[in-house]
Amino acid sequence: MTTSTLTRPPVTDDAPQQPRRRLTPQRVVLHVFLVAVAVGWLFPILWAVLTSLRSYEYTASHGYVSFGGWTIDNYVTAWRSAEFGKHFLNSVYITVPAVLLTLFLASCVAFVIARFSWKLNVVLLGLFTAANLLPQQALLIPLFRLFTEVPLPAFMSDSELLYDSYWGLILVNVAFQCGFCVFVLSNYMKALPRDLYEAAMVDGASVWRQYWQVTMPLCRPALAALATLEVTWIYNEFFWATVLMRTGDKFPVTSSLNNLRGEFFTDNNLVSAGSVLVAIPTLVIFFLLQRHFVRGLTLGASKG
Amino acid sequence: MSRPRTQAEYLARLVPPSVAGLNRRSLLAGAAGASALLGTGLLAGCGDSDSGGSGGKTVSMGSNASDPTPKDVLAKVSAAFKTSSGVEVAINTVDHNTFQENINNYLQGKPDDVFTWFAGYRMRFFAARGLAGDVSDVWGKLSGFSDAFKKASTGDDGKQYFVPFSYYPWAVFYRKSVWQQHGYQVPTTLDQFNTLGAQMKRDGLVPIAFADKDGWPAMGTFDILNLRINGYQFHVDLMAGKESWTSDKVKKVFDTWAGLLPLHQPDSLGRTWQEAAQSLQQKKSGMYLLGLFVAQQFNADEQDDIDFFTFPEIDSTIGAKALDAPIDGYMMARKPKSEENAKKLLEYIGGVDAGNISVKTDPGTLVANTGADTSGYSALQKKAAELVGSATEIAQFLDRDTRPDFASTVIIPALQQFIKDPTDIGGLLTSIENQKKSIFTS
Repeated sequence: MTTSTLTRPPVTDDAPQQPRRRLTPQRVVLHVFLVAVAVGWLFPILWAVLTSLRSYEYTASHGYVSFGGWTIDNYVTAWRSAEFGKHFLNSVYITVPAVLLTLFLASCVAFVIARFSWKLNVVLLGLFTAANLLPQQALLIPLFRLFTEVPLPAFMSDSELLYDSYWGLILVNVAFQCGFCVFVLSNYMKALPRDLYEAAMVDGASVWRQYWQVTMPLCRPALAALATLEVTWIYNEFFWATVLMRTGDKFPVTSSLNNLRGEFFTDNNLVSAGSVLVAIPTLVIFFLLQRHFVRGLTLGASKG
Repeated sequence: MSRPRTQAEYLARLVPPSVAGLNRRSLLAGAAGASALLGTGLLAGCGDSDSGGSGGKTVSMGSNASDPTPKDVLAKVSAAFKTSSGVEVAINTVDHNTFQENINNYLQGKPDDVFTWFAGYRMRFFAARGLAGDVSDVWGKLSGFSDAFKKASTGDDGKQYFVPFSYYPWAVFYRKSVWQQHGYQVPTTLDQFNTLGAQMKRDGLVPIAFADKDGWPAMGTFDILNLRINGYQFHVDLMAGKESWTSDKVKKVFDTWAGLLPLHQPDSLGRTWQEAAQSLQQKKSGMYLLGLFVAQQFNADEQDDIDFFTFPEIDSTIGAKALDAPIDGYMMARKPKSEENAKKLLEYIGGVDAGNISVKTDPGTLVANTGADTSGYSALQKKAAELVGSATEIAQFLDRDTRPDFASTVIIPALQQFIKDPTDIGGLLTSIENQKKSIFTS
């Protein structure tokens, strides 16, 4: 940390700042635009939070455009009736292994693509990147059939199939997320100085050592950024968890949100409370690792 | 700059400052933590306990009973079943809507031994595809079901695939106090119904509460008009894709409906049935055609004030004896792990004891088995049971009587289009017919 603060150019070195920037029409337009966009993004979230804090009886009789009926009962009921505790844990079982596995496998592929020149390099990268463009839904039926045919030993899953097991979901998520990670990581690795590897080879480092002890530590920022993105994406994943799972108790938290909908009757305030609860982990991750998040989005921008 | 003395120092020099965020130690700690998580995650997540069980003492049940009351009924029934037979029921509850939308996957995957489902076309559809187990021999041991219920449990091949458990009727609900105050009489013909509606308008009431934001409530209106105008058999054939939607018979249904629309609550596409039911509860509307579950929107002390009548007669040769009364019940998987236990459970569910548990626990539905002790019914439930008991034919509700894809992708938008613009009935019906042809031939 100290090196980065020391070497960062001091603020005062910037172009000499004027005490106050002039208020040009462009700036007014810019700020109006920014405020509008910010409100547009924040409105649904704030509306959900606001709704979740009000009782159904009050909003039913006074409408949603009113003020009052404050309560936190929705959160208590939502947590209890949808059994979020259990389902959050299910999400962890799926997300954590899937993210680690994705990063590991993607970094292996990226390392090969970036460091070794052989004929199929571009083809391989293209293959992984193109897989991103495949609509997941189109693969539903083949994957479903496949999963119901692949047996697992009973100690791995009580369904004794890849279908309705965490293994299956982890596998699906890893498969669909690898493409993007390979793309980002290979670009990042290509930017690392080649001399490094020449030196490593002179010192007699094996390929594995070049990968694990030279490349991986240098890729920390990229890996951190990707981990942040991937945790959010895989945690939010809803589609596969709904179709490839059969046992209600094994659903991750996103799918179990449906537990709050009744057969004939849906209490929107309760569902809002549930949604806010489900969104909290992604928000926490985002705010804690915001720096990596933003960096992750611009990783490829300044490098080859 | 001095020469690096260690490998780490050397590597550190190569890293641009913007990249050197984390130090080596924290990365190692992170990796250790992550691998610990991975380890526990895998161990705890994937070695989950064996709950299905292939032994002789358990039977698994896939349940869509995610609402608290039905869930409670099922829990009590399975506890009672365990006491009587010694077989434990492992209940797998999936929320009602997800269960319904996933049923195709569910049945083709690895379904539970017994699962909750609906009578009528939706049952026959899966029975005909060989995705459900034949339970005719269970029916041999059951008693207390009317012929209408047995018919609703029978597949296209004449075998039974379904054990009914509960049902609720659709009817026109109203508040007794409102009707007494204005001196309204229950209408028995369409003319009387229209006159009553006009009178309600003069009295400052919305005659018929109406909502179709969710798409399905309007199906109830279409169903009852079709049953009254064209009769039960036409309804079944129309739903099965055998009759044409462009026929004069269907056109007459929509014409009649268009005539009644001015009596309906306006702007219904933006309203949920709960809001429409609340307008009835708040005495702003005069009546509401809905299922018995409308009572959920009334307070406990208002329950006795709810009354209903069946939709009046339109054609005297057809009468007013048919109605929508969706039946919920249970089916068996095609290859249950333990067929013997599954059938035992179905027999118990269809029996009087399970029915009695439902009467005591769930005031929102009626028990299918007529042998059950119904003295615990509320006045409303008693009247509803009489109404269904006197019905000559029982339809299951549009979306249960036809292909699910046809109901949700064709009928819902079509009915909403009709409510928005009731003038172009011909064009609407042609469009339904065209879509029907492509769906039913697929």
